[in-house]
Amino acid sequence: MMEKKIMDETFTVPIGPQHPALKEPSHFRITVDGEIVTNAVVRLGYAHRGIEKAVEGRNWIQNLYMLERICGICSHIHATAYCLGVEQLAGVEVPPRAQAIRVLTAELERIHSHFLWVGVAAHEAGFDTLFMYIWRDRETVMDLLETLSGNRVNYSVNILGGVKFDINEEQADAIRKGLDYLEERTNHYLDVVSNDAMFLQRTSGIGVMTRNQAEVLGTVGPTARASNVARDVRVEAPYGAYFDYPANIVLEERGDLTARFVVRIKELFESYRLIRLILDTLPSGDLETRMPRRIKEGETVCRVEAPRGELFYFIKSNGTDMPERIKIRTPTICNMTSVVKLVIGHQLADVPMILVGIDPCFSCNDRMVILDRSDGYKQQWTWEALRQHGIDYYHEQHS
Amino acid sequence: MNTQEALKIASLLVEEWVWTTETERPEPNRLDVKLTKLDDFIPIVVGLRVQRLGYLSAITGLDLGPEVGELEVLYHFCTAAAVVTLRLRVPRDNPSVPSLCSIIPSAEPFERELREMFGVDVDKHPNPIHIYLPDDWPVDTYPLRKDFEQGTVSTAVRRGVKHDGKENNG
Amino acid sequence: MGSTTIMNNIPNLVALLIFPAGLFLLLCGLFYEWADRKLLAQLQNRIGPRWFQPLADIIKLLAKEEVIPDGVNPTLFIGLPIIALAGGLTAALYVPIVGLLPSYGLPGDLIITIYLLSLLTLCLGLAGSNTLDRFSLVGATRTLTQLFSYEAPFMLALLGPAFVARSWQISVITTFTNNRWLILSQPLGFLVAVIALMGKLELPPFDAPEAETEIVAGALTEYSGRGLALFRLGKGVALVIGLTLIASFYLGGVTNPFLFFVKTLTLLLVVVALQALLTRLRIDQTVGLWWRYGTLLVLAQWLVTIVWHGVAT
Repeated sequence: MMEKKIMDETFTVPIGPQHPALKEPSHFRITVDGEIVTNAVVRLGYAHRGIEKAVEGRNWIQNLYMLERICGICSHIHATAYCLGVEQLAGVEVPPRAQAIRVLTAELERIHSHFLWVGVAAHEAGFDTLFMYIWRDRETVMDLLETLSGNRVNYSVNILGGVKFDINEEQADAIRKGLDYLEERTNHYLDVVSNDAMFLQRTSGIGVMTRNQAEVLGTVGPTARASNVARDVRVEAPYGAYFDYPANIVLEERGDLTARFVVRIKELFESYRLIRLILDTLPSGDLETRMPRRIKEGETVCRVEAPRGELFYFIKSNGTDMPERIKIRTPTICNMTSVVKLVIGHQLADVPMILVGIDPCFSCNDRMVILDRSDGYKQQWTWEALRQHGIDYYHEQHS
Repeated sequence: MNTQEALKIASLLVEEWVWTTETERPEPNRLDVKLTKLDDFIPIVVGLRVQRLGYLSAITGLDLGPEVGELEVLYHFCTAAAVVTLRLRVPRDNPSVPSLCSIIPSAEPFERELREMFGVDVDKHPNPIHIYLPDDWPVDTYPLRKDFEQGTVSTAVRRGVKHDGKENNG
Repeated sequence: MGSTTIMNNIPNLVALLIFPAGLFLLLCGLFYEWADRKLLAQLQNRIGPRWFQPLADIIKLLAKEEVIPDGVNPTLFIGLPIIALAGGLTAALYVPIVGLLPSYGLPGDLIITIYLLSLLTLCLGLAGSNTLDRFSLVGATRTLTQLFSYEAPFMLALLGPAFVARSWQISVITTFTNNRWLILSQPLGFLVAVIALMGKLELPPFDAPEAETEIVAGALTEYSGRGLALFRLGKGVALVIGLTLIASFYLGGVTNPFLFFVKTLTLLLVVVALQALLTRLRIDQTVGLWWRYGTLLVLAQWLVTIVWHGVAT
């Protein structure tokens, strides 16, 4: 890459796999002419763990925990999509209280994910003060999730056929109190992202995607909704408790980065409303139903709205206690095409902003095959070998 | 467009037209279309697109196993809650499907994934390179096929295949 | 003869190596760097570094191996940080550091000081273009682009006080500005000077040349160890000198150490607040800002000053 001096007018700036702008690995080759981007190519796969293959060798219950670990930010929604799919295949009806708790956790997760995103995006724009403040306030919702589930990430709320824990009045009050604080702060942040002149210089009119482009490029989630494409699975195809607690769609027309900020922040208000409603009218009853160990033969498609957009699960069962095939299509891969097309013609300085504008999650994207280049044996490690290595490693540490 | 309308339009399109298909309704919101002729595939996708049902949600590859000797490729088109699935069957030893990129640009990453995971050749794909797997992944090794065993690809073998033992630093 | 030369030069050597330039100024630069980071952290709801953190960073960097990448001119690679720091330290000799009279003075030393300060940025740009790394090259381009945009307004803003003092010698100007708060008569000049100083030091929102989310560390991406330490020291020194110049010209002079620290630290607080409040500008926005507003503002200030003096005399 650096053997000879590039004398061309244009040259390629590599972004990633290790780069301060990206907290996760992916590789972009940005060709620039001066400061203007002329081409962009994306290469994924630096966080492959082979999950789609691995689930075929594990039983339905083990897979729940495996799939929850696809992503550290939207872990709950992956598990929910899987549970809904498997329950549909098994023909099991989940009690309404469990459904409501699932949605409640999903909305808390959406709050935490959107706060995280606003912070990261502000950092990319070089507005670190907003980043620091918003991440401080994000701790509120992280604490709420911890009081509910005992974990800050990977809440492990779902089990096949229900949920693991209940919500008592005390926790409900804690959540209400936390939401009041967050709502006040969210109003403030909405004001900042839509009125701060310096910040608008970096977001307004940048990365504009028209409604038609957004539809043709197949974008999903807040990225699509910022371009006025009414695509929200919670509204279009309600699942679980969204039948009883319908969500309202949030749309923006401008399609630029400002709109992507505004859509996500306005969605927070929708989440606050839903959570309050669920807490006030939580149906009583059981938390779980019995699930068979073997799932009936069949195929199902399960779509849920993750914080980043539509999450698609295709589950095929062959009648045993292990799935035949689980296909996962995460929202980021849908939105990635739009980034590669949108950055062309923009300034290099806008590239991180546009990329972050879709809220990319590379660990969600890359999940297929285990590769280990650095091990001494030049031999790929199996799951068992890796597990054994972990056990030995910690054994040595403690002895 | 609501779910029922979408399903109605889609079933009119695929059932009452010149192509030969078998349709099924496995779930109330799903329409499964088995295509018996590969030639019908592109026209049907164009038809769905014209009817504004062309949001390609995902492409799923299925390996039916060495015994059956076939791969199945599923194209999921979603509109509201409706999921229209086009199913193509291709032979396992020489699988090939036409590319959708000219009709639906967002199909590009999905098709790249299908290509490297199942070895389905995507005809006329604009950018037929790896997306998830490393560039020096051995040829004819497709991880999501049923006969792929985890742990069978060693780094040394991979390096030897394309680069004569030289490591690819590009 | 030899011994008398040495004896006569001892005060000069002390001035060069220990006080006010040299060691003292380096430590002072580190202290101001710490104050900047700590105040910024407080404004951003963080804790911030401990008081010795900048010093510890420098010691660590000095002790580390300096990697000289392939394809660079090693002489330039090693020499540029030294020139940058030397430029800053030399500039300090003409500036009333800690409220003392400048160690040296000659007519027109204001111009010399401004150019010695620019040497740092110039060296940064050259250091970036010297390497083959793409981030460095983009960073160097941006550093030099930024240099050309803020330099003229900065110079004009500092020449405003020189004009009313009728001298281009810093010691004369400081004597004149003592207890004369030029910020009141030349507010636009003061504003431009402060913001141009932020541009000079590549502080947010003018940190596009080293925007980590785009080009890692900009021109300094390939620097490690001693070179990086020297550049950082140079920036600290430039910060102190810049603050001193502006405080002594616009804020009623710095005639004793107490006034010096109070005024420069107050000025630093303003700089930090601006850093916390503003979003990073793209390089084209920075250039636009300086040529469209900065230069015009300072020229307007000049016009007002000249007319005022014409009327008064």
